[in-house]
Amino acid sequence: MPPILEAHDLTKRFALGAETVEALRGISLAVQPGEFVALMGPSGSGKSTLLQLLGGLDRPTTGSVVFEGRDISHLSDDEATRLRRERTGFVFQAFNLIPLLSVRENIALPFTIAGQDAGRGEAHDRIREVIALVELEGKERYRPDQLSQGEQQRVAVARALVTRPSVLLADEPTGNLDYTTGGELLDALWKSSETAAQTIVLVTHDARAAAYADRILVIGDGQITDEISLGRRADHSAAPLIARLAQIGL
Amino acid sequence: MGLDRLAWRTLAARPLRTILTIAGIALGVAVLSASLTMGAGLDAAIARTVRDVVGNADLRVSAFREDGLSSGTADVIAATTGVAVVAPTVERRTYLAPVLGEPLRGAVTIVGIDPLPYAQLHPVELVAGYPLARPDETSAVITESLAKSDGFTIGSQLIVQGVGSPAYLRVIGILAGPGPAAGSGGRTVLIPIATAQAVFGMRGLSRVDIGLTPGASAASVSAALGDRLTAEPYVLSSPTDIAAGLRASTADFQAMTALVAAIVLFVGSFLIINTLSMTVGERAREVGLLRAAGATQAQVVRFVLVGAAFLGSIGSLIGLVLGAALGALMAGSVRALTGFTATVEGLSPASLALAFLVGLAVTIAAAIEPAIRAARISPIEALRARLDLPAARRGRLGWLAVVFAAVAILALAVWPPSAGTVGADRALAVYGALLVATLASPYLLPPLARLAGVPISGLLRLEERLARGSLGRDRNRTALTLGALVIGLAMIVALGWTAQAARERATAWLADVVPGDELVSSIRPVAADEGVAASLAAVAGVARVSPMATFDLAIRGVRVDAAAVVGADFLRDGRLTFTAGDRSAALTALDAGGAVVLPAATAGRLGARVGDALVVALGGGATLDLRVAGIVERSIPSGGGEAILVGWPDASGPLAVSGADVFAVRFAPGAGAPARTALEAKATELALEANPLARVQGAVSDALGRVFGLFDALAIVAVLVAALGVVNTLAMGVVERVREIGVLRAIGMTRGQASRMVVVEAGVLGVAGIVLGSLAGLVVGGILLALTGGLVAGISLPWASIAIAAVIGLAGSVIAAYYPSRLASGVSIVLALKFE
Repeated sequence: MPPILEAHDLTKRFALGAETVEALRGISLAVQPGEFVALMGPSGSGKSTLLQLLGGLDRPTTGSVVFEGRDISHLSDDEATRLRRERTGFVFQAFNLIPLLSVRENIALPFTIAGQDAGRGEAHDRIREVIALVELEGKERYRPDQLSQGEQQRVAVARALVTRPSVLLADEPTGNLDYTTGGELLDALWKSSETAAQTIVLVTHDARAAAYADRILVIGDGQITDEISLGRRADHSAAPLIARLAQIGL
Repeated sequence: MGLDRLAWRTLAARPLRTILTIAGIALGVAVLSASLTMGAGLDAAIARTVRDVVGNADLRVSAFREDGLSSGTADVIAATTGVAVVAPTVERRTYLAPVLGEPLRGAVTIVGIDPLPYAQLHPVELVAGYPLARPDETSAVITESLAKSDGFTIGSQLIVQGVGSPAYLRVIGILAGPGPAAGSGGRTVLIPIATAQAVFGMRGLSRVDIGLTPGASAASVSAALGDRLTAEPYVLSSPTDIAAGLRASTADFQAMTALVAAIVLFVGSFLIINTLSMTVGERAREVGLLRAAGATQAQVVRFVLVGAAFLGSIGSLIGLVLGAALGALMAGSVRALTGFTATVEGLSPASLALAFLVGLAVTIAAAIEPAIRAARISPIEALRARLDLPAARRGRLGWLAVVFAAVAILALAVWPPSAGTVGADRALAVYGALLVATLASPYLLPPLARLAGVPISGLLRLEERLARGSLGRDRNRTALTLGALVIGLAMIVALGWTAQAARERATAWLADVVPGDELVSSIRPVAADEGVAASLAAVAGVARVSPMATFDLAIRGVRVDAAAVVGADFLRDGRLTFTAGDRSAALTALDAGGAVVLPAATAGRLGARVGDALVVALGGGATLDLRVAGIVERSIPSGGGEAILVGWPDASGPLAVSGADVFAVRFAPGAGAPARTALEAKATELALEANPLARVQGAVSDALGRVFGLFDALAIVAVLVAALGVVNTLAMGVVERVREIGVLRAIGMTRGQASRMVVVEAGVLGVAGIVLGSLAGLVVGGILLALTGGLVAGISLPWASIAIAAVIGLAGSVIAAYYPSRLASGVSIVLALKFE
């Protein structure tokens, strides 16, 4: 099966005052359909930048990103917007919900933005499904400020999954959560991967989160420095991974 | 770095907001300074006119009756103790006979003078030629403007038309300035008094100007004249009285200008409060750090006030420059509106300083609440992750009321004295109504925004939903922005309604009281035996010609406007609405003599009822009793309001009215345009001027339109300031929501949708402003109309003004959204997601 997402020799340079910072220095990778991949690395290693390029939020300086067989590195703004709306889903560290919209309205946003009626038909069914997936039934009319932080992040996950994206991209989704709620969120992501074969690319520096992945790519100084293959497993214990990471000094 | 410098850098960090606020202050100060400039210009013009008209005369005795003061009266004046110089004058309007082949030019005012005493009281400044020397020479001195407009030079011949044969006069001098006749528009001809009396067939004098002996007081001479002048009615006035009269004629105009200036400044204060509140909100963390580092509350207050002082100073200085330009523009229209040539060089440094200080004071007043709020920020609270100050936000509207009071007090302090206290009361009532509308706006905003969103949500559901939510995020900020818009739009509606009501009243009034389709006027009284009425009546298609004349009556020592009419014509034509007395009997009584019909306003003022007798002074102790035969709702318009209607037997008999000055001509049904053309031709042949009633109504309407047009222009300045507020609020909203917009863009919102979201937000604000502004405008208009007696049952609503306000409000808001919408569409997703 061809990879759903590929990166070929990606570089990304930023101007920082008079200096140029090289955030990515020739990264290549491939993600298979249904695969759960974690990107790990210390702060400033370039993992979030890589995720933004993979999801079409930004363009590489050189190299290419191939999404479902199509080079997305040079899409126009409208094409990239359509890709994000229809083919990818994002979850961020900060929950990034729209405070004045209800839980259901936040989840329905991708449909509303696309001009679809989220109150009927398939959109309505999908919203109900993802609400069930993240276990927020009965809270559809709540506003974000009436929810706990874990619940808010589950709303963000539901919003990312509601369009059944080809790839879900998550940037430190447990970074603002405590141990228990972080675990609940990871369980929800795992559930979508296991039951719906959802492809997930997760950026994290938390070994416990990375332990849910099938494969871990370690990023350091803008390059992939190591790859750890865990394979698909029901046991998400982080202990073996922590030992392995310790070996590579992470 | 001192805290003052940090205050400056804080403003520099948000250049758009700083510029918008400065522009808001500048516009407010500009209108205020232009209003002061114009007021000073008008005062100077009035003083100049008084000087031109009265010269060095200390007192003036004017004729009450048309045939003028007798020479006996002039002799009595000359013999009164304290009187040194007596300058008799005759004044009449007429036409100069045109040179063969040239068109007839506008009317001129002929001033007949006795050169010697006249020159003693009126400094004659000539730009060419010589002054008049003898009372009987056949020479003339004309004004410079008349020479220029009609092409006369020294040596030109003037043919002055009068009652008898015309007088041929040679121009020997050209007078600087507009000349001594007020209201002549500078078209004045000075001729010897004997010549003038001969041309116009007069024996009497129009007035006598008096110069006092050194040491004599005007009061004692006035008292002496009061005792001695008993032979005929007269009016005694002093230059002060004349100036007061002229000032009173511009009082309403000045009051309204001052009111609009105060309103623009008030709207500007909204912008200042909002800007400084936003800045304090944004800088709360820095302020907390300053406090944690040991800055005192006083230092923090100073930090905010220094920023405000900077905004106020720069804005006020720019406002003074803009105000000078605006004042020059306004002075141009003032001439058309008031007849006075107001020039702008009259603005004193004190007025400039006043406008500057008012701008600065309003800015500082608006800054005090944000400054106190900043000082109260607790260091611990400020250093927490996210700071919200809801309680402080609530204080913002309360503070607005305080700023309102400050602006009101300042406005009263700089209120033009000539605008009068009635104008000030009206301004305060209007001002208060607008404040109430502003304070009510946060409560009315949610339902209004929902209402405004209904038409939009069908097409742009998401944008409408997000826009509405965004407006509700900081309700006080939105309310202040909305309030400014509401005030500007309310003024457009209110002024439009007032103008519309005035036009309707004026046109309905004329239609109700004039028994004709056409008014044929004469610049001299046309005696009944001249056969003019018969000539006009002989024109094919003319059904009736009704002669009328306006004159003055002296009743209980007060000058009252009167009009001589033919009662039977009014009866047949169905004119006049009687509120008391029998219509038929009253109008028949006028023609029989010994009766009057009073307009309701005069009846009220005199306390007269049907059947009462009015005693009219005829001079020499003689009186004429006129019985009130009826009271009408409205009567014929006159210089001072409405005229008492008197029958011709009394007018041409004891009241000595020598002839008609206007003929109301009614055409036969279906006579059409040919009759009108024939009448106008006949009028020209008789040296009369014919005007259709509709044209007279149109002229009244146009004149009112010009007056209100100026106020509308000033109200639009208020809308402009409000639009700056809309830009500020929307831009701030975008900056606050950068992260949200970034997320929306990340999950698929297009740049176009992000941009439309802001435009829709502006649209919702605009529609809410239009609804509330129109309602507030109706209330304010109602107050203005009620205070001028114009709020009557059945008055039509100002739909056209509401439509104009709607277009301006919506267009202004949406144009204001241009920059913020570009800001929103340009949000970088990557940067937005990093934004804290």
